Amino acid sequence: MQDEITRSLLRITQKDRAALNVLYQHAAPKLMGLLMRMLGNKAEAEDALQEVFIRVWDRAAAFDPEKGNGLNWICAVARNLALDRLRSNRVRQVSQQVPVEDVHDLAATGPGPEAQSILRAEMEHVVRCFGELPEDRAAAVKGAYLMGLSYQDLAARYDVPLNTMRTWLRRALISLRECLDR
Amino acid sequence: MSDQDTHVLSGPDSDDLLAAEYVLGLLDGPDWLAARDRALVDQAFAARVQDWEHRLAPLNAEFVELPAPDLLAAIEARIFPARPARRFGFGWGIAAGLALAASVFVAVALFAPQFSREPALQADLVDEAQTLTFQISYDRSAAALSVVATGPEPDEGQDYELWVIDETGVPRSLGVLTGAQTRLTAALEPGQTLAVSLEPAGGSPEPTPTGPVLAAAPLTDA
Repeated sequence: MQDEITRSLLRITQKDRAALNVLYQHAAPKLMGLLMRMLGNKAEAEDALQEVFIRVWDRAAAFDPEKGNGLNWICAVARNLALDRLRSNRVRQVSQQVPVEDVHDLAATGPGPEAQSILRAEMEHVVRCFGELPEDRAAAVKGAYLMGLSYQDLAARYDVPLNTMRTWLRRALISLRECLDR
Repeated sequence: MSDQDTHVLSGPDSDDLLAAEYVLGLLDGPDWLAARDRALVDQAFAARVQDWEHRLAPLNAEFVELPAPDLLAAIEARIFPARPARRFGFGWGIAAGLALAASVFVAVALFAPQFSREPALQADLVDEAQTLTFQISYDRSAAALSVVATGPEPDEGQDYELWVIDETGVPRSLGVLTGAQTRLTAALEPGQTLAVSLEPAGGSPEPTPTGPVLAAAPLTDA
């Protein structure tokens, strides 16, 4: 069975304008949380939120419900947009001031209210795979995903040379892929 | 550097790791832009990107929900600028959309001459090694595209092919580039990304690129 977000995305591919309204009601709070975490600034997050929905409207045809649920697809659109803005230096990344320790609590936070049991099982799998990594590497990977930290940011934060950070994380990514695909 | 490092940095996995680095947002500056453009035009790389997005998607549960202001009116105003669609209310059908598209087309056709004074567009595409460049200029009034290539020619049995990526993210071939200068006809807009890929002679057998993307850049005002 498809969730409300996936259904409204499929209707948006038909340029159904009412579906945009439904999607906004269901997805905006999650996207606001994502954009605030990555951009760290309310005005910037609200501006990006508008942009996300415009991109979703334009690109909904690329959404394939066989390859994942609608929420994850729009989260990917929103993360890409946030990274675009961070990497083009349009935004000073306030979120970088949040200590890395903040991203250790993957299991503690748990799935949001919209998460179903399948998602919970996936989540447990991801938690287990991150658990197999050295703690600092796991935190660094999550810091990148959740806060948009680059190699450069992470190297500065952990006080190691850029190449060391790159080698650490590439190894961590290989282990993660191996575990996640299991 | 240990053998393992060498493997990690340059092994057959390097494309897949690049996709992971791109999805995570680890890359900076030109590396980020290059990966982003490649994800738009290189199907194999885009598939790797999708796989990583899928693998890491459960982390989205980490983002907490926050109250979002009601920006729907502002969003709609940007998606449907001054269209008469509002009169139809919600749920206006595909037919109305098609009629509207048709009327926009007619309007564009009628007023086309007014675009003739629009500034020329250009893009400079340079490959990673900075040995191969494609200087592209576009005359909007004549829809004429000129591509000047400098650098090594493709090997026997291969051609460079030019692509445009529009807002849907799907690459569309503009043609095969031959010799030092190629002239093509195309309808292009500022902000679209142009890319050159290496393809079998005569161009990609598929509707999208099959070979590596050598260079990409957005089309901007000259």
